[in-house]
Amino acid sequence: MKEQLIQYLAVPMLQIAAIIGVMLLCVMYLVLWERKLIAFMQVRMGPMRVGYHGLLQPIADVVKLLLKEDVVPKAADRWVHLISPIILMIPALACFAVIPFTGTSFEVGAFTIPLVNYDVPALTVTSWVADLNIGLLYFLAISSLGVYGLVLAGWSSNSKYSMLGSLRSAAQMISYEVPLGLSIVAILMLSGTASLVGIVEAQQEAGHWWLFWAPLGVPLLWPQFIGLFLYFVAAVAETNRAPFDLPEAETELVAGFHTEYSGMKFAFMFLAEYLNMILAALIVSVLFLGGWLPVTFGIPGLSELFGNFLPFLGGAGAAITGFFWLALKVFLVLTVYLWLRATFPRYRYDQLMSLGWKWLIPMGLAHVMVTALFMLLRG
Amino acid sequence: MSVVQRPELSLWKRLFLVELLQGMAVTFRHWWRKPTTEQYPKERPKILPRFRGIPKLQDHPDVEGILCIACNQCSIICPDDCITVLGEPRTVGKGKQAKVFILDYERCCLCGLCEEVCPTTPVPAIFMSHEYELARYKRVDLMNDMKELYEPQPTKEYLK
Amino acid sequence: MLGTRELEINLGPQHPSTHGVLRVKLKLDGETIVESDPVIGYLHRGCEKLGENRNYIQTEVYTDRMDYIAAINENLVYIEAVEKLLGVEAAPRAQYMRVILAELQRIASHLVWLATHALDIGAMSVFLYCFREREAILDLIEGYCGARLTTNAIRAGGMRLDFPDGWTGAAKDFCDEFPARLKEYDTLLKTNRIWMGRTKDIGVISGEKALSYGITGPCLRASGVNYDVRKAMPYEVYSEMEFDVPLGSVGDTYDRYLVRLEEMRQSRLIVLQALAKMPEGPVMNKVPKRIKPPAGEVYVVNEGPRGELGVYLVSNGTDTAERCRFKSPCFVNLQALPELAKGHMVADIVALIGTLDIVLGCIDR
Ligand code: SF4
Ligand code: SF4
Repeated sequence: MKEQLIQYLAVPMLQIAAIIGVMLLCVMYLVLWERKLIAFMQVRMGPMRVGYHGLLQPIADVVKLLLKEDVVPKAADRWVHLISPIILMIPALACFAVIPFTGTSFEVGAFTIPLVNYDVPALTVTSWVADLNIGLLYFLAISSLGVYGLVLAGWSSNSKYSMLGSLRSAAQMISYEVPLGLSIVAILMLSGTASLVGIVEAQQEAGHWWLFWAPLGVPLLWPQFIGLFLYFVAAVAETNRAPFDLPEAETELVAGFHTEYSGMKFAFMFLAEYLNMILAALIVSVLFLGGWLPVTFGIPGLSELFGNFLPFLGGAGAAITGFFWLALKVFLVLTVYLWLRATFPRYRYDQLMSLGWKWLIPMGLAHVMVTALFMLLRG
Repeated sequence: MSVVQRPELSLWKRLFLVELLQGMAVTFRHWWRKPTTEQYPKERPKILPRFRGIPKLQDHPDVEGILCIACNQCSIICPDDCITVLGEPRTVGKGKQAKVFILDYERCCLCGLCEEVCPTTPVPAIFMSHEYELARYKRVDLMNDMKELYEPQPTKEYLK
Repeated sequence: MLGTRELEINLGPQHPSTHGVLRVKLKLDGETIVESDPVIGYLHRGCEKLGENRNYIQTEVYTDRMDYIAAINENLVYIEAVEKLLGVEAAPRAQYMRVILAELQRIASHLVWLATHALDIGAMSVFLYCFREREAILDLIEGYCGARLTTNAIRAGGMRLDFPDGWTGAAKDFCDEFPARLKEYDTLLKTNRIWMGRTKDIGVISGEKALSYGITGPCLRASGVNYDVRKAMPYEVYSEMEFDVPLGSVGDTYDRYLVRLEEMRQSRLIVLQALAKMPEGPVMNKVPKRIKPPAGEVYVVNEGPRGELGVYLVSNGTDTAERCRFKSPCFVNLQALPELAKGHMVADIVALIGTLDIVLGCIDR
């Protein structure tokens, strides 16, 4: 009983705490990287004052946001105004439960916590909080709940700009959910499982990332590039990032749904947005780029070498290496995200809709069909 | 006169996102260019010789005493009426010299007309200095009398 | 009771993309604009009245502040009016200098337009790239007259100062480097599908309608009307310059964008020609120190970056004008906004305000 309690309650709690902590740190530095990268691309320097080349800027920002006055518009619905950032934040965090951060699990031997003399039995600690067999569906379901937060935030602020922004985002997120789902179907068919861990393991078995899936043994015949492209575009739209950042188009709607937010509530919305970005990048890495699998450039020998940088640590070394590869992929995907923002103008609302419905959804359907056809041909 | 061409995207460019990728290449190239940022105030901007900063008074070694002859030309031409000059007989030589000279930076629009009309030789008594930091905590600090107008403005140096 | 109502929304006067303090009252049906009504006057400083209370030399200072993006063009048209009242001509070298500075200022002004227009549509990088180029021009202008925006550089009878040493070389360097930069903007915007989608067929206005609104400048030429004051009534030495007047064919936002980009290229050519042809000599003709023109009235027009700049002066023989009136192209162009915006979406109104290239200082005076 005690063992089970610890294995199924205490360990997940610790994992959740660790994931939240690490992710919040990641968000802080993602914001800094965004500001720096976009600054470099615009021949500027970005934050330079706090710390060496602005490295402590995120901390200064957090302190500023914490200390800021929380302004609630007089005509706003106070309670809804208060809870909508939380509604935004919770799904974003909850999705991280199913993400496998690295492959191998750690075996922790029995030990005693000093001072309280509490004996802890031997445990297995995985790098994911839960390996749901419907992990992908869980992700889709939970992440789409965030839209309620946006809509309520826009509605409760009682401002026309916020209202327009939240209506836009509702329409946008709902329409882009479809291509997002469609782009994943092919991966589901290839892996034969909806568990995110299972998907990566299937890629390990197949010997290549799903991105480079070469049916009929012909390389580059129908790789999942289309799928990746679809997923990426839809994810950019889902997370309201440029060039699809209509809900918060600052030159049209001032700041969209969070126009009337300040202080910590604003920080929550901000956090949720960036958490969603990281999440999208994680899912791209897991589904298409092989998750924690090392980059081998198709050379078989390299997988041994790159699979474990720290062989003297055994399983822990492999786990750390896996985490490193995943982090690298996520970082690159996020950089592309930011790069798009530095380059492109913004779509218009109706253009966005027609892109989603007239192009991405048919493309997604065709992609599923063609993938299915190839799988059938191969038998 | 000629009519400008309206380019159209060809089908293959449309399909393979060529122009989007080209655009991304442009921003990527800029990533490696030197930033144009000036780290003011740690780094002081380079000031060109003709720069018109706030007007100040000056003397000249060739002329004994105060250079300004209190002719009032600058206060007449000033479009914002920010100069007040009162004269007194010169301590050395003939003519007049400024006794009181008040310049109100709050209203000065840095047009440079005062320097242009000042008749003194070899240099104008009132001149556009290279000082540009005008912020003060109190409005009254922007009213400058003669003593302040002769002093260079203290600048704080910052470590890089 | 369920029902639908039009949404009334105030765009501005404090809004990120109204280029200052323009306020547009919008009536929306969903996101479609039913009615738009620009409200102006938030930046009114009484420049015309000041022009009647200050003498001719002092008033030039206020022209700097009307269209603060293109101060030299405003200086030039005002001084031309004063010169016409006085009956003097500028020194030959000064005329070339005026053309060079005015064209550089035109490029700078168009760069600001491109920057803010692109930013309004969401292309943030173009904004900063354009400002980098504009910085180079402003450095040139600062090197010449000492101020970046409030130039106050031109005097009746010529120019205040000659170009400093090395100035012409720096200006040539800028002109040599500029086309490459323009090409980069083209890559980022001209053929970009999002940009085309956002600007093509947005705010179409026919040449006839544009004329009836009194629109001038690039907005008029984008509708296909060949009217450029520099060609129609050449002033200074524009008659000696060879340049092309680009025209649009459709009259939409995309055409206005293309026309202005081409104008930048033509302006660069004019600068190079004027630099090559500029004679040596004094920059100032003999003009009395106190400007006291004989009684009379003049109206002078110039081609500013935003359209036809006009100055109407009535002199009563003293050193202050009896009546001073500035004709602002932005004011006239803005009046077409409700016409242009009808039936488009909220996002387009931002693009349309951008494409009209308004400067509130010029509108409100
Ligand atoms: S610079 Fe112009 S405003 Fe300032 S004091 Fe001189 S004349 Fe007056
Ligand atoms: S500063 Fe020059 S113009 Fe002004 S009163 Fe003195 S001498 Fe005359």
